[in-house]
Parts: sequence; structure tokens; C-alpha cells
Amino acid sequence: MSVLPFPSFLDDIKEKGLKKALFEGANEVTERLTAGMNIQDIREALRGENPSRRPNPRLTPHADGFWLHMRPSYFHRDMTGLYPTFRLGWLSTYFVFFETITGIILMLWYTPSPDIAYGNMLNILSNVPLGQFVRDLHRLGAEAMVLIVFLHMLRTFYTGSYKKPRQFTWFTGVILLILTGLLSFTGYLLPWDQLALWAVTIGASMAEATPLVGEQVNLLVRGGPELGANGLLRFYLAHVLLLPAFLFIFTGVHYYKVIVHGHSLPPRSENPGEDTAKRVPLDKRVYFIPEVMTNEIMWAAVTTFILVVLCVWFYHAPLESHADPQVTPLGTTAPWYFLWIQGALKLGDKTFWGIIFPTALLGFLAVMPYLDVTVSRRFAHRRFAFSVSFVMLALLVVTSYMGLPEFGVATSPDTEILHEMTFEPAHNHMGVLRPVPFDQVVVGNYTTREFEAEAGNAQAAVAAFNEELQTTGQAQQLTNLLREQHLAVPALRFTTVPADAPELRHAMETFARKIQAENQELVNGWGVLIVTQNQENLRRLDLVISWDEVLVENGEVVRDENGNPVFVLDENGNRVRRMTPAHFFLHRNAGYYE
Amino acid sequence: MLQRMLIEKIENRILVGILMFLGIMVLTGWVAINEPGRMAAFEQQHLARSIQWGAELYAANCSTCHGNEGYGILGRAPALNSPQLFGHDFFASLNRQAERLNDTKNELARLQAELDSGSITRERQAEIQARIAALQATYGDDIVAGIDTRLAEIEQERQSLRMQMQPAIDKGYDPDNPDRLATLGWQGTLDAFLQTTLVHGRPTSESYWPQAMVAWSQRAGGPLRDDQIENLSNYIMNWNRTEWTIEDLLLVQQFPIRPGLPGAEMAQIEGVGTNVEAIMAQLEGVTGDPLNGQTIYNNPPLACVGCHAIEAVAPLTANQWNDTVNVRLNEPQFAGYTPEMYIVESIVNPGAYLVPGYSNAMPADFGQRIDIQMLADIIAYIKSYE
Repeated sequence: MSVLPFPSFLDDIKEKGLKKALFEGANEVTERLTAGMNIQDIREALRGENPSRRPNPRLTPHADGFWLHMRPSYFHRDMTGLYPTFRLGWLSTYFVFFETITGIILMLWYTPSPDIAYGNMLNILSNVPLGQFVRDLHRLGAEAMVLIVFLHMLRTFYTGSYKKPRQFTWFTGVILLILTGLLSFTGYLLPWDQLALWAVTIGASMAEATPLVGEQVNLLVRGGPELGANGLLRFYLAHVLLLPAFLFIFTGVHYYKVIVHGHSLPPRSENPGEDTAKRVPLDKRVYFIPEVMTNEIMWAAVTTFILVVLCVWFYHAPLESHADPQVTPLGTTAPWYFLWIQGALKLGDKTFWGIIFPTALLGFLAVMPYLDVTVSRRFAHRRFAFSVSFVMLALLVVTSYMGLPEFGVATSPDTEILHEMTFEPAHNHMGVLRPVPFDQVVVGNYTTREFEAEAGNAQAAVAAFNEELQTTGQAQQLTNLLREQHLAVPALRFTTVPADAPELRHAMETFARKIQAENQELVNGWGVLIVTQNQENLRRLDLVISWDEVLVENGEVVRDENGNPVFVLDENGNRVRRMTPAHFFLHRNAGYYE
Repeated sequence: MLQRMLIEKIENRILVGILMFLGIMVLTGWVAINEPGRMAAFEQQHLARSIQWGAELYAANCSTCHGNEGYGILGRAPALNSPQLFGHDFFASLNRQAERLNDTKNELARLQAELDSGSITRERQAEIQARIAALQATYGDDIVAGIDTRLAEIEQERQSLRMQMQPAIDKGYDPDNPDRLATLGWQGTLDAFLQTTLVHGRPTSESYWPQAMVAWSQRAGGPLRDDQIENLSNYIMNWNRTEWTIEDLLLVQQFPIRPGLPGAEMAQIEGVGTNVEAIMAQLEGVTGDPLNGQTIYNNPPLACVGCHAIEAVAPLTANQWNDTVNVRLNEPQFAGYTPEMYIVESIVNPGAYLVPGYSNAMPADFGQRIDIQMLADIIAYIKSYE
């Protein structure tokens, strides 16, 4: 007779007592949730004991459950260690989930509009508890994922795992590599700072070089002739919807193919041409439950811990000033994983190096397993393939280096020096003068001549400089130049850098050294620093470089038959004195020097 | 070795996993605990950098009119680095002292009256006498005289301050109305005022400045983004200081101009005043030019047409004369009025009579802003619609 008018758990309690009924209920729920393992089974598994009942309950979650239906129930022992996989495929998958979770958290605080996006970033950094932390994790994870996926591909190549029957697995892998790059790239734009705008502008401008349809492709990607509201929305939707959708689909296909063919064994474990991955001898089997599963959970914890440690102490996602389409920063680069294309572009034709070359390269990668039909996976049998890959890697490194702004971009030395002295924090660097503590940026006028003088002669050198400015009329030229920069200075008297401002002194020494290093072009060059008080806690720093102009062609100084530089002369036959200014403001709390 | 699991024993894996998990929790907790400090530091740092960017924008865009140091440029644009903008009142402390003294005086009178009434308890009487004795200790035996001496001293100090401020007063500063925002009737914060002005500019200021301030925001067709407007306003706000001095005030080159006040171009006009009879008498000897009147009517600084072209806001120009003759003058209160007289009254004293359906929105200061010839011209122009 039921306690209630229908059979219920209460009947169990009546029949068996509370404790037993509760335990059996819990046991049953556990078995249902795990699709086959009860509490005792789980306990045995985690203790590393053999299953106490048959059929083996550790196999049913794979057979009957959803979550493990795609995971094999056992692995080959040779595949569970560091070599040959280096756990790179697993790590890639880990990052897919890691990025999804951190990304969804960030989505809560983000609006894809040029008017708001940057403000959202400031809000995340200044007003959202753990906001900076999650942003750092997401950014670091993104950069790491690009690297990990690439290394995974390299590993697969070197162990020959792309060969028959795994050609299609490799093919989907190349698609995943491209998707990862695109995901990282589209995410780059979202903060809407200068770094984002210009890195993406460079990247997207490659699309312009597409033959025939370049302009249309460009319009499609950017949503207009320039990156703006439409472009940002498109990049955002691609980043959070389109690309992740493809990524999940192809991750599924990729992993399904891995399971269907089995993890390829280390090359030396099989004879050339053999594929024994699916036939795992009984003594070589390592069961997913509990061995592989605990291993994976442990690695997930270890990897997350490493990322957390990095983001707490070592890594912060960059945020530069608000995106400004009017101001191109000096030294703009594409994201580092696209540097090789930027470098290749410096080799010549935009269409060939920007579109045809990368497309051909990726296309070749994708179909490579179908072209390379050699059967052996042994290293010794693949000398040609390895040699080609080493050449390609070397090429990648070289073209990436060429992509850096240091390479092959001709900027006049004065502009370059002024930039190096003053630039706002970018790519984790900043201008030499910025980190000088506010109290050491003493109001006054300083000259690099002080640092060209012999020790002890600094005072005299500065006095001579003051004299020289007056007699040559350069003082007037300098005053006029500063006035054009909206700085009114009554009389320019230069002094030595105060003794209690060692960091300012150090910066001025660097300034002097940089001008000295360019003395081929900056003949008789000097630099000055003029510090003025602008507001109570705000100072203005004006730098001017001045030199006698010489003829320069293609970045080389023109010389006469005696090897002397050819000076540019005005209509009266006098040398032309050039002056280039730059300035910035420094606030007491700007915090560059922490 | 490399082909085996790095940690072979399952219990060690579980241990490492748990330790790592705890490590993640502890570190995240550590970050969370430090978040308030970090966020505050970021905010301070970002404000500093915003001020730096604002300084850059100011030097490039604003300094040509408002001056490199924000003191304004005579005859061109008003000062921003000015105690007036930030609402500093140099008399504030003196005013407070005087107020306190007057309060004491009133209190004394109250106490005296209470004593004189005779209907109080002994305790209360003692209390009042103690209070009076205390005041006598401070102000001397004759308390009122003592307070008046102090008040006179304060007044003297005020005069001396005023003397020090005289150069600024000559330039249009009013120490008794020291707060620019209060003068303008602005209810919001100074920051909001600055941003609004930067966004929309001051198109109407062209009537008293040679060049009107343009709209700076992209929202209003200008060149600057919202964040740049904010940087600029942060920079201007950074001129504020806790202690403004008279020296700061004297550095100001140009104070804001209010139409109709000394300094405004309009002040050079000899206004007709608001006495309708007197104006009518003056009008006898003046002939109005309707074409000239049309120019005055339709152009700044008066720009009557601005309102009188929209029927929902003000009676239409074209109907004014005929309405006056056919409708208004039939009203009993306008018995003995000529149409001209009605119009003159409407201009110099717009609140005297409201056409049904309209509120009193017309400025009341036209009596100071137009002279007799202008008035005659305007009347002639209105009459031309007869």
C-alpha cells in the first residue's frame, strides 16, 4: 500500500528506512547522470582500481551518454604522453572553450559601436570588478591559441600524421588554422583604439589587392570605404557569431575524423605504410575513464593556472588611445601572426605578395596530403619534405621580421628620433621622455650640446649654445617655430639639466646620442627640450631638432667628389637651417613611470 | 618516458588538479580583493591622460581665441582659466562673517525683547543675562556698537578687495555676481556646461563677438569626437583650484559678455528706455525708414524674425500692423492708443499685454538695446504690411 495515492519515494523510505532509501536514490540519480556509472563505480575509478562488476560500467558513458559519445573509450598507451602529440590538439580545443567562456563574459560589457566601444573598454578597466583580468585572459588566450594551433600543425607535419588515411583531417585542420587567425584578427578591432584600428586597416587593406573584385571585397569587409560603424559591426558579428559557428562545426568534423582514423602512432611504432592506430592491443589500452579523463582535467587546471599567473603578474592586454582615422601612428604593424604577409608585401606587387602568395601558400598547405603520396612517416625517409619545411619556416621568420616597421620603411631621422623620444605607449613601449618622473621634468630649457661637451665643460657648452643661437639668428627661428606650435616663450635661455633630475638627464643623453648617431644627415645637429608649466599638475614638453640640411636621395646623403655632403643652399648661397618640432603634455598622475 | 603520462599515478593527478584549482581560486580572489584600488588607480591615470590629450586639442584648436593659458583674448573670446567660470566668490568669507554678525544682532534684539516683556522665569532670565554677558565680553559693553564696528571693518575689507579687483571690474567682472553659471541660470554641472558649449558652439555669440564659437562636435557637424570633447572639458576643468587668488583674477584678459551689460557692443547704443510716453514724444521728430527697419528686424543682434516668423511662437510679422489696428485697439484698455504707441509698448515693455494664446517669452531689454532711430525704422517696417 502506497503512502500517497500513487507510488513514490516515500514508499521506499517506509520500506527500507531513510538512510538506505536516500543512498539508493542518490546512487540511481548518479547512474542516470553519468549514463551508467554509479557511486561505487566512480569511487573505484578514481581510486585506480579495476571495475568490480561486468559489463564494464566505465564504457557505458561512451556508448549511451551524449557528452562522451565522441570520445574514444580507450587510447593507445603511446599516445597518452607528451610525445608525439605534445597535447597540442587538446590544448587547441581547450582554448576554444576558454575563449568562448571569457568572450561571453566580455560581451556583457561591450557594444559594437565606434561611439561607445572605447568607452566600454575604459569601463571594463575602471569600473568592472575583474574586468581587466578577464580581458587579459581573453587576449592572452587568443594569442596563445594562434600559436598553439600553428604548432599543432607543425607537429602533425613532422610526424607525418597527415598522410593517408588522414588527408581530410589535415584539410579541416588547415581550415581551423585559418579560422583561428581570422577570429584573433577580428577580435583585434573591437577595442577601437589606435592599435586596433591601424592593425586591422593594414590587414584589411590586403583584401583590396584581390584581383578583379578587390574593391568589392574591401567594401564588403569594411562596410564602407573606411573602417567605421559598419566595419566594426561586421567584425564584431564575425567574431562572436559567424567564425565561432564555423569553428565549432569544423572542430567537430576534425575531431570526428581523428577518432574515426584513430590517433596516429609515433612513426617508429609502425612499419612504413602501416596504419595500426585502430587496432590497440589489450595491454596497450589506456581507458578514458579514469586515466585520460583525470589527466585532461588536471591539464585544464594546470593550463588555466598558468594563464591566471601570467595575467596576474606578467601580461596585460594593450589599450592605446581612442581610434582616430585622421592620425596614422608611426610604426603601425599588423598583428604578429600576419607580419609575414606585411613583410612579403614589402617585396613588391601588392596583388601578388598580398593575395596570391598567401592564398597559394595556404591552398598548398590544405591539399598537401593529396599531393604528397609517399607512404613512409619515418623521419629518415622524409628528408626532402623536412628540408622544404625548414626553408618555409625560415622564410616565415624572415618575412615576419621584414614586416616590422624597422625594416625598409624610410622615415627621415629627425621625425624618427622625435617619435622615439615622445610616443605614447604602444606595443608595450613608450617614448624615452614619458617615463621620466614628473618631479624630474623640471621647467626649463635644455640642449643636447650639454652632453656633447667634455666632462666638466657642460656649463661652458650651454653658454656657447646660447651665444650661438643669438648670433646665427636661430633663436628667432626657434621662437617663431614654437609660436606656430601655440607655445609662447618670452626669451630662450638654455641651462644645464639640474643635478637632482637624473632621469631627465638620462633621457637628454639618449636624445643627444640619437642625434649624434644620425650626424651624416643631421649635420651640425642639436636638439632642445623646452619644459613649460601648462597647468598646476600639467607640463608641456617641446622638443626641437635642428640641423643644416644636406641633399638626400633615396635615403642616402649625396656627396661631392671629396666625399663631403652637399648642402642645400638658399637663394643667397647660405646653408638652410632646418628645425623639426614635436611636443606632448605630461600630467603628474599619468603613471608612465610605474 | 615522454610517451607516458607526465604524472603516472592517478592520485597524484587528482592532487595536482586540486592544487591548481585552489591556486586559481586564490589568485582570482587576490585579484578581486585588489580590484577597488586598481580601478581607482586606473581612473586617476586615465583622467590624467585625458587631460594630456585635452591639452593637445586645446593648444591646436582653442588657444587662438581663448589664449594659450586660458585667460581669454581681449575682444575675441572670454577666459576659461578664470575664477568666474568656476564660480569662485571672493566675498564669500566676508559675506559669511557679516551674516553671522547680523544674526547676532537680531538675536540680541530678540533676547532684549524677551527680557523687557517681564513674563519669563527666573532661570530663563539668568540664561539670557549670561548670554548677553558673553556677547559683551566679545563685543564690548555696547554690543550693537561693537558689532557695527566689525561690520564697518568688513565693509572696509570688501572695499579694499574691490579696489584690488578694480582692473578686472573695469574689464566687465562683477564681484557681486561672481558665478558665471548662476548668472546664466545654468542648473547643471560645470562639466556639462562645458561639454554642451563645446558640442553646439555659440552661434548667437556672433552678436557680441567678432567670431561666433562654432560647434566642435561631430554630432553637430564639427571635427571632434565625443571622447575628444570629453578630453577638452577635462582639461578645462583642470584649471580649477581650491584657492583662487585676486592675482588669478587679474590675469584674466577678457570676461564673458552678456548682451546689454557693459562690455557688450549693444551698450554703445543710447537705449530708448521703457517710458512709452517719452518715447512717443521723441518719435515725433524722427522719420522711420522701412528698408532699414527690415534689415534690423531680420538680422542679428535683434533678429526679431527669429521668433516672429513662427506663428506658434509669436505673432507673425505680416499680421502685426493690421491686427493692432483692427483687433487690439478695439480693446477697452487701449482706448486713446495709436497703433504706433501699441507697438512701442509691445517692444519696450512686452509683458504689459499678452496677445491671447501666447506666453511672455519676449526679452524685456529691447529698451536698452535699440535707439530712437532704430525703433522708428522698425515701426515703419511693421507698418509697411498695412
